[in-house]
Amino acid sequence: MAMMATGTVSPKAHRRSIAAQDRLFGFLISAPGLAALLLIILFPIFFTIFTSFHDYTLIHPNFETYTGLEKYSEALGEGYFRTSIWTTIRFVIASVVIEFMIGFTVALMLNTVQRFKTIYYFILLMPLLINPVVVGLTWRMLLHSELGIVNYVIGLVGIPGVNWLGDPNIAFWTVVLVDIWHQVSFMAILLLAGLSALPREPYEAARMDGASAWRCLIHITLPLMRPVITVALLLRMIFAIKTFDIVFIMTKGGPGTATDLISYYIYRSAFFGLDIAKASAMSVLLLFAVLVLTVYLYRYMKSMT
Amino acid sequence: MKRLLLAGAILLAGMGVAKAKTIHILMETVPDTRYIQQLLPEFKKETGIDVDIEAISYIDMHSKLVPQLIAPQGSYDVIVVDFYWVGEFTKAGWLMPLDDLVKRDNVDLGRYVPKLLDLVGHVDGVTYMLPFYNYSMAVIYRKDLIADPANQAAFKEKYGMELRVPQTWDEYKKQVDFFTRDTNGDGKKDFFGTVIQGQRGDCISMQWANYLYANGGEYHDKNWNPEMDSPQAVQAMKDYRTHMLNNSPPGSESFCFDEAFNVMAQGKAYSFVTFNILYAGLDDPKSSQVVGKCGITPNPGGGLNGGWGWAIPKSSPDKDAAWKFIKWVESYPIAKKRALLGGAPTQTKIFTDPDVVAKRPYYPTLQKILEGVKDFPVFTYTTEFVEETGRELNLAATGQKEIGQAMKDANEAFRKLAIKDGKLKE
Amino acid sequence: MAGGSARSARPRRSATIRRLERLARHVVPHVILIAFSAAIVLPLIWVLRVALTDKLTAYKIPPEWVTPRLDNFVAIFTEYPFGTYFLNSTVVAVSATLIALPLAAGLGYAFARYNTGGMALRLFVLSSQMLPPVVLVLPLFAMFLMAGLINTWAALIFAHLTINIPFLAWILVAFFQGDVAILEQAARIDGATRLQAFVRITLPVAAPGILAAGILAFILSWNEFLFALILSGPQTNTLPVGLASMQSHRGVEIALLSAGTLVAILPVFALLPFMRRYLIKGLSLGALK
Repeated sequence: MAMMATGTVSPKAHRRSIAAQDRLFGFLISAPGLAALLLIILFPIFFTIFTSFHDYTLIHPNFETYTGLEKYSEALGEGYFRTSIWTTIRFVIASVVIEFMIGFTVALMLNTVQRFKTIYYFILLMPLLINPVVVGLTWRMLLHSELGIVNYVIGLVGIPGVNWLGDPNIAFWTVVLVDIWHQVSFMAILLLAGLSALPREPYEAARMDGASAWRCLIHITLPLMRPVITVALLLRMIFAIKTFDIVFIMTKGGPGTATDLISYYIYRSAFFGLDIAKASAMSVLLLFAVLVLTVYLYRYMKSMT
Repeated sequence: MKRLLLAGAILLAGMGVAKAKTIHILMETVPDTRYIQQLLPEFKKETGIDVDIEAISYIDMHSKLVPQLIAPQGSYDVIVVDFYWVGEFTKAGWLMPLDDLVKRDNVDLGRYVPKLLDLVGHVDGVTYMLPFYNYSMAVIYRKDLIADPANQAAFKEKYGMELRVPQTWDEYKKQVDFFTRDTNGDGKKDFFGTVIQGQRGDCISMQWANYLYANGGEYHDKNWNPEMDSPQAVQAMKDYRTHMLNNSPPGSESFCFDEAFNVMAQGKAYSFVTFNILYAGLDDPKSSQVVGKCGITPNPGGGLNGGWGWAIPKSSPDKDAAWKFIKWVESYPIAKKRALLGGAPTQTKIFTDPDVVAKRPYYPTLQKILEGVKDFPVFTYTTEFVEETGRELNLAATGQKEIGQAMKDANEAFRKLAIKDGKLKE
Repeated sequence: MAGGSARSARPRRSATIRRLERLARHVVPHVILIAFSAAIVLPLIWVLRVALTDKLTAYKIPPEWVTPRLDNFVAIFTEYPFGTYFLNSTVVAVSATLIALPLAAGLGYAFARYNTGGMALRLFVLSSQMLPPVVLVLPLFAMFLMAGLINTWAALIFAHLTINIPFLAWILVAFFQGDVAILEQAARIDGATRLQAFVRITLPVAAPGILAAGILAFILSWNEFLFALILSGPQTNTLPVGLASMQSHRGVEIALLSAGTLVAILPVFALLPFMRRYLIKGLSLGALK
């Protein structure tokens, strides 16, 4: 801890007053951001929680009827809701894990090369700048089983056309792949920033001891990158859970319920079923699930060092 | 300096007085919207009112409209309402009844095709909307293929009947089967009898409705008892599944009307049961290879009715100006101009107006189509009904659920919603 | 850091293997990056092709060569208020990012250095991100309606702040941890105040992270759809809403959409100068210590 000339103040009191000053500083510097956030988000969050306990529909948008946990049990009782939870879990695991592996590899490579860095980064940014609705529409065109260029090209090398969006089993993976194409750069950019902030000494020392690149990666890079990796995984997981537009545009949750992700399920409940209360209940359940997941992931990553 | 200030004040005051009224309308990005935009200067000349049309995608329109309608005062003076939402909007009380205005200004509602007025005009005897355009469904087919003598001979030989514009469902099914072929001998079918738009939700629901009607089925009886598990409905699903598996391109399980349209437009299919407004697109050289080769005919047993109506929301900032606009845009001369530009008509006289028919020779057929259409169940929960039954229909069509079970489940979902809306007594 | 390790019993690797290793180390990264770039660029080349032709050509299989035309790029500006969409998206995304960055930096720093509010506050800040936008949009609409802000840039910017601030704060926490703390302490010993240490030491050192986070936040805002749809009006519709409007009851105007997509990617050119400076800077910063 910083030791300044204390004069007549006792060390313990001095430490306490520094701690108090620290707390004050922390509070002051975070206040503007917190205030801005609370101003806008407090009402919507409470509104959501409040509506989930009443019979609030778009036809009768009022809080006259208190329904307690009814909306929650109703939601959990819907078999298709439970299915969509499971589909979402599979989707999130698949896309986040694959995006992480590809993203980290790309970030490592980009960190290593000297030339053409700018061009690679430029290309990396491009898919992210396309909004999800358009990504869905574009890939629907490319993946048209009969008229799409993808099936044509793979047909040229003798592979029969794939029913990308019509076969329930394949459709799920198609949606995962499109999401990866769209979002892997997110991971890459974040991880690259983390890599470029790493100190050089550990590597130089390890090199002098003859450590191979692989050992450097496992024993130096990964541990040092832990904070950035954690936040990249966490954020990507949270966003993956909210994946909506790709499903809405490409499959409407089908074929059957193969791509029925929870975000789309909740949207339907709100705008088609007109039942805001049920949508809110499902959202609150989702919120708790994600909070628990977040804490778990965070602690797990912490324990990895 | 004082004189300058005075001049400035007069100028500002003058600007305030001369400022035109502007009304705002939310519409879909369809060619019809553009045609109206082209005609707006006439409205401005007549009434001095500026019209600002905001156009967005139709699938998102409902989400955008609802908050605007709940609010005490919204941003839009006039809106267009899709028939799906008619029950919902009227039950929630978001639309202004127009009967008084209709009576006061002598608007002749009899000029509308009755089926359209029923769908997007009256609700329980009250006029809430004026029909704007229709997108009823029919069968689009390749008339050049029917006219081909080689096809005619082969068809007659195989089925013992003439190859002609399909009049009955049985005939249509035979034609669909007949035209599904492998034309380049590589062992794979590459020409299809029909295109199925089987995507879960509203695409499959709308197309399958035609199969239901063709088999003589109904969604519900006059007391709103659901009939989606009737033998006719089950047969309709069997027909649909057969077409999807055998007579339609792979991927149909997930096609919506755009993907399906493109198959037809690229000349890879004989027929397409779909919205009549897509027919014009097949004659557009920028999107179609089969320009001039397609015809349109009513779906045997009746096609599905569909349309949009003009309405004034209760949250409209300027209801007078809104009504002026609706009267103007639906007045015969303007409606006719819209039709000439290519818009889909809703008034009976337009279909037979000689100027219009000269430009669009298929309009008399279109009128015949409109006379035979049937309505979806339109009630407060139509959108959800489409979603839930659409899921069951898709599960059945893709073979993920046994047909009988799926139709029972669809029927049950419908029953629950009908009870929720009070249409059906428990 | 690395301690001493036994150097005794290690066989010397032959020169050839070392040369191969060197070659691999130089070539392999490029091979991987090129493969990755191809996966991204090839679909976009097809999009370009569609943008330069029309819907018929887009779906013609086998593909035919058609003379490219710039009609679609013109049409998006004449048939749609594309210029307005672009302007609105730019204003909203830039504002939301620039406003969010300092606010979130303060928040993130407090989390990282002083654990302000503990895990509970951190989770609360992120919780708005854990709710699907569809349930947040209606209360937000009600709030902005009361404030008279519907159909203004302000409504969208505020709404996007709820997305950007938590997101940025959490990312910046990761970049404010680590060796930076030691450098700060050194500065404090030299007499700097906490604020001075933060501004003069932490921020510059964490610059690569701040930049990357800022770019990602900009992109989030650029692509955001639902809030833009519900909270905007004719003058404030953004690119995602505008591009989505190219689907209609008559089908998808895929050629126009493709042209619009490519125009919407243009900001990547604007973001690039920032990248160049900090990519190179970031690497050398590591060596400074």
